[in-house]
Amino acid sequence: MPSLQSKFPAMEVDSQEQLQRKQSTYLSLDENFEIQKEVYRGQQYSQIYFARLHMMRTLLYSLVPNWKSHLPVCTVLELEEGKECIIVGTLYKHMKLKPCILDEYSKERSVAPLIKPHNFMHQDDYLVLEDESGRVKLGGTKLSPSVYVTGVVVALHGKETSAGAFFVEDVLEAGLPPQIERPLESREDKYVVFVSGLSIGSSSSNPLQFQLLVDHITGHLGDEEEQGLAAEIVHLVIVGNSVEISRGLLNGQNLVSKDQSRLSEPFKELDILLTQVFSSHHCDDQHFKIAASLPLDIMPGSSDPANFALPQQPLNRCLFPGSATYNTFRSCTNPHCFELDSIRFLGTSGQNLDDLTKYSEAKDKLDFLERTLRWRHLAPTAPNTLGCYPFTDRDPFLIDSCPDVYFVGNQEKYETRLLKGLEGQLVRLICIPRFCETGVAVVVSVFHLPG
Amino acid sequence: MATSKNMNVFYRQKKNSTASTGQKSTKSPSPKHAATFGSDFTQPPALVSHGGSLDLKDDFDEQEQALRQFDMNMAYGPCVGITRLDRWERAQRMGLNPPKEIESLLKGGKVKLESLFDGRV
Repeated sequence: MPSLQSKFPAMEVDSQEQLQRKQSTYLSLDENFEIQKEVYRGQQYSQIYFARLHMMRTLLYSLVPNWKSHLPVCTVLELEEGKECIIVGTLYKHMKLKPCILDEYSKERSVAPLIKPHNFMHQDDYLVLEDESGRVKLGGTKLSPSVYVTGVVVALHGKETSAGAFFVEDVLEAGLPPQIERPLESREDKYVVFVSGLSIGSSSSNPLQFQLLVDHITGHLGDEEEQGLAAEIVHLVIVGNSVEISRGLLNGQNLVSKDQSRLSEPFKELDILLTQVFSSHHCDDQHFKIAASLPLDIMPGSSDPANFALPQQPLNRCLFPGSATYNTFRSCTNPHCFELDSIRFLGTSGQNLDDLTKYSEAKDKLDFLERTLRWRHLAPTAPNTLGCYPFTDRDPFLIDSCPDVYFVGNQEKYETRLLKGLEGQLVRLICIPRFCETGVAVVVSVFHLPG
Repeated sequence: MATSKNMNVFYRQKKNSTASTGQKSTKSPSPKHAATFGSDFTQPPALVSHGGSLDLKDDFDEQEQALRQFDMNMAYGPCVGITRLDRWERAQRMGLNPPKEIESLLKGGKVKLESLFDGRV
């Protein structure tokens, strides 16, 4: 269809019908994840664990009266044998197969296999509860070591046994945080596109696939109806692992100029594609153009050139000379939290979930995601097995307010579930698959979430 | 486990000064900055800090005692790797109601701003 138009001289320059892209108000809530103001003074991770325990314990203490008001609450050191009570503390999971730096020095290699397993669980793993006063080994079958990980704060009902362990009769997790009520009036359809794991520069990525996606969402493909749908997309979120740099270039050797250009190629490719998302004057002979460009957020992932420890800081704007000139281009932190028309989105590029997969088990990935919400913590295994900045006065991964959409990127396949909380919270959980492997992006309808 | 009552187990006891000077009266006076000045204990090198002066004054100083009590109080979290004022302010923000006297001590005068374990851990 476009080719017919180009054969005739253009009599009126703007005779082509233009669709207006729908707009949404955007609010960034990433301030909590920025570390520019932090100063490292030699602190260790005990500080962040203290902040986490204090915040969660205060919360759990407020929930205990509704749970079991007749029981006394005490600290670990105040436990008395046979006395039924409630204790609150941080869980620590002792894992036989968890790699330990000291294993390198042991003379015999017995238990730890030479090949790293994908999951470090063992049937002999056990849980310990710890607070500032002490720690106690946990017994009983109520608390399953395969579900819990180090770093989760819970309240436990039970009693001390003669062996000195704490027999757990019941567990109280913090549960889903309160959710801000959204206005109920029916609104027009708007969509948010999530894509993750583009891995531009890797051998498995196909540049045509992402080009196809960009063409589709910018309205350069399809007929009027398709373009109309594309005009209803209000935001694009790129959830980590956008580039993959060949390991051979990162071995610390000086690069020859040929290799230096190889290093920057994936970024150039990414920048060109992202610039297309913004510029609506991409092709000349189009019937319909979507007038306004598409705002986009790009988050760093484990393979991107950002810091290793969470929270990952935004990718430097210098990597995107073309697209960063647009004020609708936003380089964001990982984890990333934002609001679109008062709908709250919260998500990560996948490191938190991948770490849970190594140290615990669940039926599917959405179960892990649900657990982090019930524990009110994005990454409970940080800093134990997941790199994390040693904050002194806060734990930024605590979830205070329940999001409406909770996403995780770089997963194996697309999965989704609607989670309902006890106080009426509704959350859409989404696992975004790796685009370079699946070619799948996720489109979320923003105003039809509770259904 | 130490409670606030027996903090002394964590640092060197103050020697009874009258007894020791009584013992030393027959010996020649010790040099001013010798490691054993004022007591029979050998001064561990770690206690010589902040410009070479010996930390002996701390044991006599009530203010430092109060600050060490604050350092060791578990309710306000670990004291290693954080300055005393930062730790006090953090406790304040968390609603733990740390004693106001500590804040005025830290902001006021010539007290050590680093915790008890600074430089020793």
